[in-house]
Amino acid sequence: MTTATVERAATATATSGSRFTGVGTLVRFLLRRDRIKLPAWTGGLGLFVLYLAAALPNFAGTEEDLRGAAQLFNDPVGRLMIGPGYGFDDPTFERFVANGYGLYFALLAALMSILLVVRHTRLEEQTGRAELVRADRVGRSAPLTATVLVAVITNVVGGLLVFVMLVGYAGFAVQGSLVFAAAIAATGLAFAGVTTITVQLSQYARAAAGMAGGALGLAYLLRAGGDMGAQGGTGLSWTSPLAWPQQTAPFVLDRWWPLALSLGFAVVTTATGFVLSERRDLGASWLATRPGSAEGTESLGTPLGLALRLQRSGILGWGISLAIGGLAFGAYADAMLDAFGELPDVYAELFGGGDQLLAGYLAYMAVFMAYLVAAFAVTAVQGLRSEETGGRLEPVLATPVGRWTWLGSNLAVIAGAVVVMMAVAGFFSGVGAALVTGDVRHLWELTVAHLNQVPAVWVVLAMATLLFGVLPRAVPAAWALVAFGLIAGTFGPLLDLPEAVLDLSPFAPAAAMPLEGFRFAPVLVLTLLAAGIAAVGFLAFRRRDLDLT
Amino acid sequence: MTDVIATSGLVKTFGKTVALDGLDLGVAAGEVHGFLGPNGAGKSTTIRVLLGLLRADAGDVRLFDGDPWRDAVDLHRRLAYVPGDVELWPNLTGGEAIDLFARLRGGFDQRRRDELCERFDLDPTKKGRTYSKGNRQKVALISALASDVELLLLDEPTAGLDPLMEAVFQDCIREVREAGRTVLLSSHILAQVEVLADRISIIRHGRIVESGSLAELRHLHRITITAETTQSADALTDLPGVHAFEHIDGQVRFEVDGDRVDETVRALAPLGVRSLVAHPPTLEQLLMRHYGDELAARTNPRNGAGR
Repeated sequence: MTTATVERAATATATSGSRFTGVGTLVRFLLRRDRIKLPAWTGGLGLFVLYLAAALPNFAGTEEDLRGAAQLFNDPVGRLMIGPGYGFDDPTFERFVANGYGLYFALLAALMSILLVVRHTRLEEQTGRAELVRADRVGRSAPLTATVLVAVITNVVGGLLVFVMLVGYAGFAVQGSLVFAAAIAATGLAFAGVTTITVQLSQYARAAAGMAGGALGLAYLLRAGGDMGAQGGTGLSWTSPLAWPQQTAPFVLDRWWPLALSLGFAVVTTATGFVLSERRDLGASWLATRPGSAEGTESLGTPLGLALRLQRSGILGWGISLAIGGLAFGAYADAMLDAFGELPDVYAELFGGGDQLLAGYLAYMAVFMAYLVAAFAVTAVQGLRSEETGGRLEPVLATPVGRWTWLGSNLAVIAGAVVVMMAVAGFFSGVGAALVTGDVRHLWELTVAHLNQVPAVWVVLAMATLLFGVLPRAVPAAWALVAFGLIAGTFGPLLDLPEAVLDLSPFAPAAAMPLEGFRFAPVLVLTLLAAGIAAVGFLAFRRRDLDLT
Repeated sequence: MTDVIATSGLVKTFGKTVALDGLDLGVAAGEVHGFLGPNGAGKSTTIRVLLGLLRADAGDVRLFDGDPWRDAVDLHRRLAYVPGDVELWPNLTGGEAIDLFARLRGGFDQRRRDELCERFDLDPTKKGRTYSKGNRQKVALISALASDVELLLLDEPTAGLDPLMEAVFQDCIREVREAGRTVLLSSHILAQVEVLADRISIIRHGRIVESGSLAELRHLHRITITAETTQSADALTDLPGVHAFEHIDGQVRFEVDGDRVDETVRALAPLGVRSLVAHPPTLEQLLMRHYGDELAARTNPRNGAGR
């Protein structure tokens, strides 16, 4: 035996391993793996502050403007979407940023933490990489411990960046900025804690993330219901981990103690996660996996049936979100009417100006929904691309299914889903608006107004299809068209962009219903344009090689 | 017998990489054709050109009586394909995927499909994401074998299957051949091809370097002889056609060219033969002959350069 092996044996017995052996190495390893993701997320939080501090004076320059905007947020529907509305009786920039946008900072931190924990625990086990790591001199609880530590580091760094931006760039008060930043970090940790539990429950990363996301959604709903009841929230608000950060009321009350709830919640959930983790096998889960159907149905065996089946869950998820969003946007109509006259001029310009503010608002919402549905369309075409690169398209095209049949079936499903989604979004906007204004005509009016934007979304879908056929790697570039539409339509007047540039947006030509009457020409032109662009994509797709691994 | 697959001078490049460099492949109807070569030789590219998923840059391809690129859909009614790396949809069960592919091909035999699930020991109720590589492979195999088609294109179909399943697979392929169907079996598992294939094509750097029945290929190549003799057999090294002569444990072993066997054995006989073993070249040796220089260069660059 050589000296080296003797020495190695000696050190091995000298430091007997524990459940936590290897944590230090793993923390460095996780930070190295996330060297792009973590700076991007935390930097994003910091940039959000930068954006708000820079944009707000443009939106609401005077104290009067600020008061008008704050009043909009302080309405029950405003509180449903924004939070308990601390300090909105006497708004300052600091209060407006912290209490008007704090919820979105908290949501970002929560999402960041959920994805971080899932990525480093369940996904590693699902892919089998955790097995390689655990086969080394690594303790049973070391991977989870390292993940939690990295979550702590990330949230603290994110909080610090927000604090530095608030004080350094925006020049806000130190005390309030510290409370705000700490509240965001604590919320991130609370949902990291929730996720340490959900990753023990399911064998699949996606399901674990979905469950944690569901918990986040539930927290949002509880908070929304609670905050709607009264300014400052009600008892129901206090049941939600998403309400606690806002209950610190930065720049108003500056209270620290609600964060004890967040941190306590984080500790209890994380401890539960550890207990559940140590009592299961590697790769196993607490919820059993259900067997599915042993046989495929007749309809699944057709290209259209397959396309429907694969896109079903995505369409359902988007549809439900759009329905809820539409309901909320529609229900906002009354608050808009009340605030009319006190709103900053920018809003009036955005909603078409004049005295028809309500119709202008509703018309803008129809276009806004079109941006969202266009985002769905691009995502769906990216899904087709990943069928190709993921190797799942190859065996399908090796059957007597032609390329046009495959692409056509999928596009038919997507284009059809676009129609249904716009109708659903419009109908529920109408329901929301009818509920608060008592005017049932909104139902019909808004459904039509939304359907009027369908051809614009089809143009985006067609552009994505064109890219898929001609330059498949560039499919994500279709997002640029959605972003351009959004920027031109929302900030165009604000940025003083020339009319000619604004008119390039596919969302521009259609009549701004219900502000304007229906015009047939843009609908026809956009539909033909979409058909033409898509046709080129079809031709190109049949001529190119598949991308195969 | 007509050719089911016929390519000549097939060329396919990806950027600067030449994947197929004048490939001439012929597969006759009703035969199991072994398609041998290491990774990166162009096996998968060939099959994907045959499927019309890739378009050849030059050369002719005929599949049945059609052009695989132009007549892809019609031709695909008559064939089933098993890729080397089967990817399934995470939220579809294995059973659903089997039926899906078979239905897209135009129908299948339900009884045969259930029997194959049984034989391959596959639980069809599990979701795609839960299957191991071997099980995903089984899904594609069962679907292909249950379909009523004339041609099976199998691209390393048993990678990830255990030896028991390998045996089941070999039984299934024999049944397919008895039913008069054609199989193109791409593989780098020599034993599998040796047992199953009627004819073999060896591909190297995108070209077919050797093609024929195993017997034909053997005829062209050296036979290995191991012998123990009472007198020294060293004189045999001077005979034409004798190669790689060496002493091992008191025996001699050498290779002899296929057309020199007769005279070599005559020269050996007077030396007092105590034991004699002669065996034809294994597929391994055939392959090594074509890839040996590459292997030598890789394991010992200096030797390779010196030769």
